[in-house]
Amino acid sequence: MKHTVNLTLEQRPEVLERVLRVVRHRGFKVTKMNMSLESEKVADLDMTVESERAIELLTKQLDKLVDVLSCNASEHRVPERLVS
Amino acid sequence: MEQGQNKQGQMMRGADAVIKVLTAHGVTNIFGYPGGAIMPIYDALYGAPVEHLLSRHEQGAAFAALGYARASGKTGVCFATSGPGATNLVTSLADALLDSVPVVAITGQVSTAVIGTDAFQEIDVLGMSLSCTKHSFMVTEMDELVPTLYKAFEIAASGRPGPVLVDIPKDIQIGMLEYKTPLQDRVEEPELDTVKLDDAATLLTQAKKPMLYVGGGVGMASAVEPLRKFIKVTGVPSVATLKGLGSIAHDTPGYLGMLGMHGSKAANIAVQECDLLIVVGARFDDRVTGRLATFAEHAKVIHLDIDAAELGKLRLPEVAIDGDLRQILPALATPLDITPWQEEIASLKVEHQWNYDRPGELIFAPAMLNRLADKLPDDSVVCCDVGQHQMWVAQHMWFRKPEDHLSSAGLGTMGFGLPAAIGAKVSRPDATVVAVSGDGSFMMNVQELTTIKRRKLAVKILLIDNQKLGMVKQWQQLFFEERYSETDLSDNPDFVTMSSAFDIPGRTITTSDEVEAALEHLVNCDGPYLLHVRIDDAHNVWPLVPPGACNRDMMEEMDKST
Repeated sequence: MKHTVNLTLEQRPEVLERVLRVVRHRGFKVTKMNMSLESEKVADLDMTVESERAIELLTKQLDKLVDVLSCNASEHRVPERLVS
Repeated sequence: MEQGQNKQGQMMRGADAVIKVLTAHGVTNIFGYPGGAIMPIYDALYGAPVEHLLSRHEQGAAFAALGYARASGKTGVCFATSGPGATNLVTSLADALLDSVPVVAITGQVSTAVIGTDAFQEIDVLGMSLSCTKHSFMVTEMDELVPTLYKAFEIAASGRPGPVLVDIPKDIQIGMLEYKTPLQDRVEEPELDTVKLDDAATLLTQAKKPMLYVGGGVGMASAVEPLRKFIKVTGVPSVATLKGLGSIAHDTPGYLGMLGMHGSKAANIAVQECDLLIVVGARFDDRVTGRLATFAEHAKVIHLDIDAAELGKLRLPEVAIDGDLRQILPALATPLDITPWQEEIASLKVEHQWNYDRPGELIFAPAMLNRLADKLPDDSVVCCDVGQHQMWVAQHMWFRKPEDHLSSAGLGTMGFGLPAAIGAKVSRPDATVVAVSGDGSFMMNVQELTTIKRRKLAVKILLIDNQKLGMVKQWQQLFFEERYSETDLSDNPDFVTMSSAFDIPGRTITTSDEVEAALEHLVNCDGPYLLHVRIDDAHNVWPLVPPGACNRDMMEEMDKST
């Protein structure tokens, strides 16, 4: 199952490592990722993750990270093929 | 935490600011080991109104900080230098993470200008800390030092507590800053969810066979009294995890002791039988549940914990409430009509009580530990290592409160007991502190005997010696066709001679008729003491739920005494 996770992060040099470590350790694979600095202090991170595990097992762990300001997940919908 | 004003601050070195933040947080004791990159902080410590206890290995210092924290409820503090000093902290920090212990570790780091150049004693401590701390920082700006340290103390102790590491480069320690007490954010306590409370109350009143499963979260939340009141009002039978021991008074009606792999038979049967499991500050650890799919399989679950990430992690509860147990438990305390179940529990307890009768003259460790518990004064702390002796302590001793029983539960770290006992004795100098260890574990941090000598700490050591890595040997015997790979420790040193080299007197006992007087002396003598107890290596820990089995399928005692 694929999910999209949107995170708002307090920008620190190690924040991406911290998030990715949790994603890996809790059993999720990153299949797509985009990070951008919104300001000196805040970064946005959007990623698509894949796992057999329920997404709440990841989002609840990410929510606990001190540098994670917000964390939202939605089920990843594969666009229907326009041409069959 | 003190509320301050952002007025003109005093100028001082970063190192002096570190000590000032510690004293502002009421820190009176630090455990640590100096080295090159933390020398300015040790210089600031010289003559400061904070007592530092020198360990002989950074792992020992950090375990002492854990013991200090766990025995007192305060935040423990430890210092280490960069590189090997910091890497030596890892095991203790991981231990604090898995057992939710509030610890602030401060490490020196090479100067910011040479970070990333593979400088002498440089390792990426921030990177290393990510998997073994609740949070961590590296301070790279002078004006960030004081606010960061304040945040570290706040994070370590708040919510679900845990270890926080602050890595401070040497130039930040030497540089000057204007000390200002940071303004603290006020954290609003969330309101309790009344709908969920009502749902939980409904499940409670509907239950015919409710069971309370109590973990370490109760002690960490200072919720022992609300819990005991809840039990008294509801009359609900109860079991505890390794870290939950002491939360419930041992003579409470319906209390069946520890559950799980080495739990009491009555506890495991009762949990398997129950129709409602009320989980309080616990997390369905695999050593508790056995095969998860069959754990309390007929029960609905109410799960109460401060950490929302534990709710639904391993078992989907019918009702989950994340919040302060001191508020939740009183809100759910109403009398229940469960007399037949209470009677069933009472007869289970009688049917499966421990049997301490052992023929023969060899010492039976469970009986000895049971006697020790009865002999300990009201103010006492027992620190364990990891292995068979740890499980015997959990099964056969009893504790007045969770702070009186320190055991490395989540990480299961051999070498925890002796340094944890040092920290416990420092935090509670009037308490009788006993380190119960095994001959395997004891050697893992044996250098800390010097720390006992240094401060003349009256730590009592009960060393249970079967000349084996007993727990591993037990599994080899039961599950690996008696292929005893690397578990023989018959080349142990002479423990009494060794301890005497650290000015710690001691004696060895080998027969059961020596136990009574020896325990009496251990508990009542002045100063540190080592009681070395030789036991039969055929004795194993019973009962036992084999790995992957259902908790109902406990293996019964099958020892053949030699």
